[in-house]
Amino acid sequence: MMSANRWMATGNYFTTYRQEQRIFATHVDRLIFALFLVVLFSWPYFIELSTKYMLVIDNILIAVIAVYGLNLITGFAGQISVGHAAFMGVGAYTVASVAGVIGDRHVLITHAWPLMILLSGFMGAAMGLIVGLPALRLRHLYLLMATLSFQLIFQWVIGSMEFFNQGQFMYVGRVHWFSGQVSRSQHYMFWYYALLVTVVVCGLGFRNILRTRYGRSLVAVRDNDRAADAMGMHPGFTKVFAFGLAGFFAGIAGALQAYLNRGAGFETFTLHESIQYLAMTIVGGLGQLTGCIFGPAAIRLLDLQVESLARWAGEILPSSLDLATGLRPLSFGLVIVLFLIFEPRGIANWWRIMRSYVKLWPFRY
Amino acid sequence: MTYFFQLVVSGIVVGSIYALAAIGFVLIYKSSRVLNLAHGQLIAAGAYITYTLTVYCHIPIYVSFVLSMILTFFLAMSVERIFLRRLIGEPIISVIMVTIGLMSIIDGVIYLTPFGSENLSFPSFMPSQPVVFQGIYISYTQLAGVLITFLLIGVFSWFFRKSTVGISMRAVSDDQMASMSIGISVPRVFGLAWATAGLTAAAAGGILGNIVGLNFDTLHAFGIIVFPVVILGGLDSLPGAVVAGIIMGLIQQFASGYLDGNWGLSGTASLLPYIVLLVILLFKPHGLFGTHEIERV
Repeated sequence: MMSANRWMATGNYFTTYRQEQRIFATHVDRLIFALFLVVLFSWPYFIELSTKYMLVIDNILIAVIAVYGLNLITGFAGQISVGHAAFMGVGAYTVASVAGVIGDRHVLITHAWPLMILLSGFMGAAMGLIVGLPALRLRHLYLLMATLSFQLIFQWVIGSMEFFNQGQFMYVGRVHWFSGQVSRSQHYMFWYYALLVTVVVCGLGFRNILRTRYGRSLVAVRDNDRAADAMGMHPGFTKVFAFGLAGFFAGIAGALQAYLNRGAGFETFTLHESIQYLAMTIVGGLGQLTGCIFGPAAIRLLDLQVESLARWAGEILPSSLDLATGLRPLSFGLVIVLFLIFEPRGIANWWRIMRSYVKLWPFRY
Repeated sequence: MTYFFQLVVSGIVVGSIYALAAIGFVLIYKSSRVLNLAHGQLIAAGAYITYTLTVYCHIPIYVSFVLSMILTFFLAMSVERIFLRRLIGEPIISVIMVTIGLMSIIDGVIYLTPFGSENLSFPSFMPSQPVVFQGIYISYTQLAGVLITFLLIGVFSWFFRKSTVGISMRAVSDDQMASMSIGISVPRVFGLAWATAGLTAAAAGGILGNIVGLNFDTLHAFGIIVFPVVILGGLDSLPGAVVAGIIMGLIQQFASGYLDGNWGLSGTASLLPYIVLLVILLFKPHGLFGTHEIERV
């Protein structure tokens, strides 16, 4: 059998299931991915960015990890979650409360931080499994209500319990690397690399989950749960497990955020933040792995624009209001609504169109 | 014992407003299977419109109450027309996500107005001396609120039982295809369901604003408690919404009356509804009066 040229493919010509399940459909994709990674890892050696923008980039990467989870629920399992920030909060507060109990300069926090991050991931996964449990008995989108109530219970617990400092900031110490303690000036750069590695590992993990038996049953349950049931899958457990996985990604993202911000505070895990993550997922593209990267980047950049617009407007308008508190939800809501109405497949679809254009160029038909 | 009955009375007062607010939500769900996450924002909008008309336009409060119901009726109708009409035929999940977007948009708009950050209260128009009965206090505003709520609930149940429009709305919720075949315009019914939901939301908002004052955070929290109420009552049951609303009001009052202050707890009234929601979803997912689906996952 002649195999297709994997360098010059002009479309998808799969003849076996094995081919369809490859991580990279063509060698060109693999090459582009490798080049992209090289650029991502090496640009800090050539360009100096101010701390402010470095923080923005780090935040984008954290959001990418969180959106992996949310996209798994919303894009692949077909359920809506409005409690994703709370799942992240579980991760962040796992780190912060361990730091609170054993001291924020304990070896476990500063040296064994990868372990702490994994532990937070598992805490998030446990919470996800609990919140997803109603899926065993319910079809439709009732789980939205479960995630909403988880969000509000989380806010109550953090906001009113002495153990969590009643929502005030809880500190987490600086971490150590092989070269010693990571200094203040290197903090954001260090976490850029740590985050980048996590994003790549989680992304490959996510892609591989989708290739497995479980990943395919996830899509089958989303598309038609009765048919999936008839083919021997268990729709309930599939959805519950999806919530667990989403919680895992969110927990990891939350723990990384706690380390990056050197602590956890209440205001980064509210309902508005959850909606912001949902906006990222929708804008990026539901059910698209590439969307998990476009969405956070687009929304964080929009956020920056909104902030500077609010500052600019605050200077001209004789107003005591903090315009950003209003403009933020307004713009995220608008983005959600407009994308759902005009481009439900998100930015990932533009990327797809561009790719197929390049693939066929110069022969358009 | 007086304390207990005092809690019962205030629970019923709050609960009846929940019931009124939940009716609108159930209505939208019944006719179009859409969980309207922006319902709390409609309530807040209704409350602020009533306040604006009363205080800034100097319209008597009775008139402005009715006017704000009419305005919110058209507001909700145009929301349906502009955003949701385009999505008929799309998967329900995207429609629900659009309502999440709407929630965020209306929040943003309210934060941009002075209402977003200020504590306001309606000018008092009723005798401030409360009614005392056997040592139980109830203010005239609360009394009026409960009366108006039950009046409206009565009007709505008449509307759904007897009027042609109400019957056609029930028909659509029962079976869209069948009701289309007998000549009911389904998009029109969706629009009407939203509009009626806006109407009830404005009424609930207006009454609530008069009883507890206007603070966006309070209104926001109130709007979200509608979700536990409808889950408890069964998402597609109007009597369920009324019963569950009152149960939820009682639960909250008992929580803040008996739990707060003991064992170092505080603010349990804003926690318990969501625990109830999770428990109901796990053990009795169709609520007290909701339609049981025979197929199980």
